[in-house]
Amino acid sequence: MDHSDTAVMGDVGSVAKSVDYVVDIRRLSKVFKRKTRATNGYTTFKQAIVSRLKGRGASAAKAEQPVTVGIKDLTIRIPRGASVGLIGRNGSGKSTFLKLITGIYKPTHGVVNVRGRIAALIELGAGFHPDFTGRENLILAGIMHGLTREEIDARFDEIVGFAELEHVIDDPVRTYSSGMFMRLGFSIAIHTDPDILLIDEVLAVGDAGFVAKCKDRIAELRRAGKTLILVTHDLDAVERWCDEAIWLDRGEVKDRGNPRRVIDAYRQHIEKQEESVLLQESVVVEAAAVPVEETPPIEEPLEEIVQPTRWGGREVEITQISLVDSEGAEKRVLHPDDPARVRISYKVNGEHEDLVFGVGITRTDGLSVFGTNTDIDRVKLPAVGSSGIVECEIPRIGLVEGAYTFDVAVHRTDGYPYDYHKEALHFSVRSERREVGVSSLARAWVVNGVRCAC
Amino acid sequence: MLESVKQVWQFRALVGALVRRHIATRYRGSVFGFLWSLLNPLCLMAVYTLVFSYYMRFNGGPHYHLMVFAGLLPWIWTSSSLIEGTASLVNSGHLITKSMFPPQVLPVVSVTAAMAHFLLALPVLALFSLAAGVPVSWTWLLVPFIVALHALFLTGIVLGLSALNVFFRDVQHLVGNFLTLLFFMCPVVYPVSVVPENLRFLITYNPFAALTQFYQEILIEGVVPSAEALLYVAVMCVVAGFVGVTVHRHYQERFAEAL
Repeated sequence: MDHSDTAVMGDVGSVAKSVDYVVDIRRLSKVFKRKTRATNGYTTFKQAIVSRLKGRGASAAKAEQPVTVGIKDLTIRIPRGASVGLIGRNGSGKSTFLKLITGIYKPTHGVVNVRGRIAALIELGAGFHPDFTGRENLILAGIMHGLTREEIDARFDEIVGFAELEHVIDDPVRTYSSGMFMRLGFSIAIHTDPDILLIDEVLAVGDAGFVAKCKDRIAELRRAGKTLILVTHDLDAVERWCDEAIWLDRGEVKDRGNPRRVIDAYRQHIEKQEESVLLQESVVVEAAAVPVEETPPIEEPLEEIVQPTRWGGREVEITQISLVDSEGAEKRVLHPDDPARVRISYKVNGEHEDLVFGVGITRTDGLSVFGTNTDIDRVKLPAVGSSGIVECEIPRIGLVEGAYTFDVAVHRTDGYPYDYHKEALHFSVRSERREVGVSSLARAWVVNGVRCAC
Repeated sequence: MLESVKQVWQFRALVGALVRRHIATRYRGSVFGFLWSLLNPLCLMAVYTLVFSYYMRFNGGPHYHLMVFAGLLPWIWTSSSLIEGTASLVNSGHLITKSMFPPQVLPVVSVTAAMAHFLLALPVLALFSLAAGVPVSWTWLLVPFIVALHALFLTGIVLGLSALNVFFRDVQHLVGNFLTLLFFMCPVVYPVSVVPENLRFLITYNPFAALTQFYQEILIEGVVPSAEALLYVAVMCVVAGFVGVTVHRHYQERFAEAL
């Protein structure tokens, strides 16, 4: 693991001493006792007594009580004014980590030292009472955040103004939309003079305009030297704001350091996992596809809706899709100048000679970037046999940085679909260049007849 | 112990705001508001007086209905504190699991809100006394002292029970049933004088019963409770407070996970 690229983590003792750490966590572990489904997590006296009786003289059994590891031996120090982003799949321990920083959870082992006032944007509007007005809830929430009544009065207009709720502040919050509710919660939390701002997946509040405003405000707090700890699936936000990214996987630090590098490694990892899930799904689809065809669509209309990313008669089937580089190694993150090769494994059920293979690229926001097929490209397919591999070779992917998917299909010349896979494969393009648009065209700059290196 | 008191003091603004909201929640949208909280003791007083004084011809003293009322008001404080307070942590679990909320505040709010109702009902009791020709005695000046003991006692118990209830949800059901028994162990519907001498200890050594008697003595009879009784109850209240705080602190750090 390469730590040299991080400004945040440094094991350099003499330098580290002069840095003012607001969060100092050493060898932190958190273990949860696993709650069994039968008891739904609650204990009754009866169970406690029974287990006491059973446990007598059998303490070995007690030691084997199933546990879930929330956080495993984590050491991290965050200097004042730094921004750290936590990434990882659901259940990787991100939220547990935040709850340990805030003191909601107590560590099983290790030390958590936090200096300064924390504003936790974990559950916005926790503690709001639906029957009370926005004004009343705002005041109480302010007190909960440790503000005095005078401080709240002084900031009241600013908080309400930021949340854009001037017109409804004296209505009960049960009449608020969920966006308004969140806006009020967010606005209160960021107006409490925090030293440390914990943000857990709450940037999805309100409309785009409000989100932009929140981001501005967070940027402002950063400039004011506040420390930011961000937990999110929004990798772009981590990349934009954070000095360090920490990738948690099952409670352990899988990687940490420069956000860009860590995020790329993380993307590569999850996209590989997604693919294995996808392949498992396609087997399920295969099994489900037969009855769908034979029964009238009215009886099982849901089946079609549940699987909108794959359709077709399956006379010819796509069994595997992969994206590989020129050496044949799988890749999910490409540079605009990289070559790419889409590999499609197929299987022909019965006698079908009229085959067209197609490949399309869609940006994740739905923009169709490119599409072609063997018919458009006037490729004369040799005999396909009962199974095989078709590859579409792209010498240079030529896209600007972003997230894309491959759509893959095999159909008849007249368009009848054998097997159509939408969003069959996710990949991203990463670049150090800051080109804009969709396509990264090959180009050169020539100034007064002199060709410049770019 | 002192540290805990200091912590709660630190959160007094929060306790105050939550108590106000608690009271406001109860009456929001109702026309008679606070009067509703009087209706329950008034109805009970009327029914007990009817049943015991008129049907059963029980001689409960010259001002039976006042004695019942003076016993009912603190009883309602006790019972609603215990019921609400015990369940308070479980009912507001989202605050404990999702925000940095000091959990000890919740049971304290339950006790304080119920106390506020009690205090607001005292002037009504005074009016009833005057109407019945019973003067408001100087012993009413002892009310703050008895209320302080009572509040300490309830806070201690509720801090402990609410913490246990997080881990054993049986506690809140046990408390509900226990209260039914406890009501009849307190001299609310009967005067202490009807309790046989050899069973009098059930009143004297039960702090709930002793407190009920104190209220009746200072509010209606104009008598100062005996020094030994006061001392005993004071000691019990401090013990309850201490045990409650200790139990609560012991379990406190596991609340967020158990809820």
